[in-house]
Amino acid sequence: MSKPFFTVYCLIIYAFLLAPIAVVVIASFNAGAFLTFPPQGLSFRWYLVFFNNEVFMRAIRTSLWIAAMTTVISGIIGTMAAMFYVTHAGKLKETVRVAMLAPLLLPEVLTAISLLFFVYSVGLGTQNLVGMIVGHVLITLPFVFINVSASMESYDPAWSLAAQSLGAGRFTRFRRIMLPLIKPGVIGGCLFAFIISFDVFTISFMLKGVGMSTLPIQLFDYLRTNFTPEAAAVSTCSIVLTMAVVVISEKVLGLRIHRF
Amino acid sequence: MNVPSRKRLGPLLLIAPAAILLGVFLVLPYLNIVVMSFRMPGQGTPYGPGFTLGNYGKFFSDFFYVQQVINTLWIGFLTTFICLVLGYPVAWQLARGASTFRALGYALVLSPLLVGIVIRSYGWTILLGNNGIINRTLTGWGLIDGPLPLMYNALGIIIALVHVFLPFMILPIMSAIQGIDPSLEAAARSLGASKVTSFRRITLPLSLPGIQAGCILVFVLSLSAYVTPSLIGGLRVKTMAVTVVDALIDTFQWPFGSALALMLSVTGAIFVVIFGRLTVMKWKA
Repeated sequence: MSKPFFTVYCLIIYAFLLAPIAVVVIASFNAGAFLTFPPQGLSFRWYLVFFNNEVFMRAIRTSLWIAAMTTVISGIIGTMAAMFYVTHAGKLKETVRVAMLAPLLLPEVLTAISLLFFVYSVGLGTQNLVGMIVGHVLITLPFVFINVSASMESYDPAWSLAAQSLGAGRFTRFRRIMLPLIKPGVIGGCLFAFIISFDVFTISFMLKGVGMSTLPIQLFDYLRTNFTPEAAAVSTCSIVLTMAVVVISEKVLGLRIHRF
Repeated sequence: MNVPSRKRLGPLLLIAPAAILLGVFLVLPYLNIVVMSFRMPGQGTPYGPGFTLGNYGKFFSDFFYVQQVINTLWIGFLTTFICLVLGYPVAWQLARGASTFRALGYALVLSPLLVGIVIRSYGWTILLGNNGIINRTLTGWGLIDGPLPLMYNALGIIIALVHVFLPFMILPIMSAIQGIDPSLEAAARSLGASKVTSFRRITLPLSLPGIQAGCILVFVLSLSAYVTPSLIGGLRVKTMAVTVVDALIDTFQWPFGSALALMLSVTGAIFVVIFGRLTVMKWKA
């Protein structure tokens, strides 16, 4: 393939990747009552409708609350597992890795359904957020694990031994050697866990109780019956929120988040 | 005596929370759903007492469900294949292209992953609908008389699925190509191989692991996709994942729903194993 042709081809693919997202953002500023293109004038009308819509606002609060809980739990469990994986797993290394990545490799729909039946079988039910948070922790755990273990790639057990021989206790060794090393990985993993939890659909859809919709679920329900640009305003706010998290982490904190 | 035992237990405490979480909330639920698929359907309850093979019998005897699994697999194959064809050149560009272009391209490939799947599918409904942007533009230009059927069919589902999963194809292939030593291609060229031959004999075979990973990822993801087929396909075209979820949420047919979900997953897994074997053989040959 010739060079210009190749470049144009790649640009078309990038446009294809961005098109539906750009369309949603543009549609959110539509002044008209329906989704028309080009928009009938620009306005923030649908943002006002959205901010005054208690259903959506409650869904955002639920989503943020669940994402925060998930991030903390997943961050702690995933970091501990990654530390074990790098320093102590020994012969079990491959097993630990596959087990930790399992939630990512198994079909999300099947995991969601299994978990739904399970919480009912053990009497947990979906009246509270426990089932949903457990599901979110499962789904986000691999991302924390990947990020933290990647940040420990350069770890050498000899450092810990050297510190120990110099009289450093278990906690000092953790604080002075391990923590500085894994800090970027932990923050990156947690941010990614937050974003995944905020956006995940199937798990939340199966495990939600009455009146506990997250933002993606509320949006999905809305889209089944409504076609006003309000959904586009909701979507745009959600996009801006996630992008802000990423930009802050990558530009301000100078982190590189590992997605795989 | 206390010290050595604590030394052994210490590291295990690190992995214990993850092990318990995965054991209780992943392994047990998966065992539970297998058992559930053999339970008797209940009257007014999710399931009744006793066990039966009837749920699987119902699946195989009803052509509707078999057909739907075939449709879902077919949509999965096409999505995977189109992702591979569209994604490979982009992956190559990201791995080997000029560096200014590369950073921007990388960001462009990753950014859709940060937007929720509901929003991305919604974007496609705006584009593909009968009154959507594409149809209006084409009608406006006088190219077509009536709207093209882009939504509520398999075509629309595949377009949107390709979009949603394309990054998962590009990224593994990109890292595979990055791992190939460029001097190998240079050597082939200096020995008189044409660009095409050097690509066919060097780059392509060496990037096979990336292709394999990308294909498996996209195939599995598109089989279990729920949101996109549900929003784009509407009530008219349903994939298996949509049928299963709707059956469970609307009608509470737990045992039958479990059997359906397992049949889809097992069929998908069989194809992944076959595909894995085939590519490994090709790889060694």
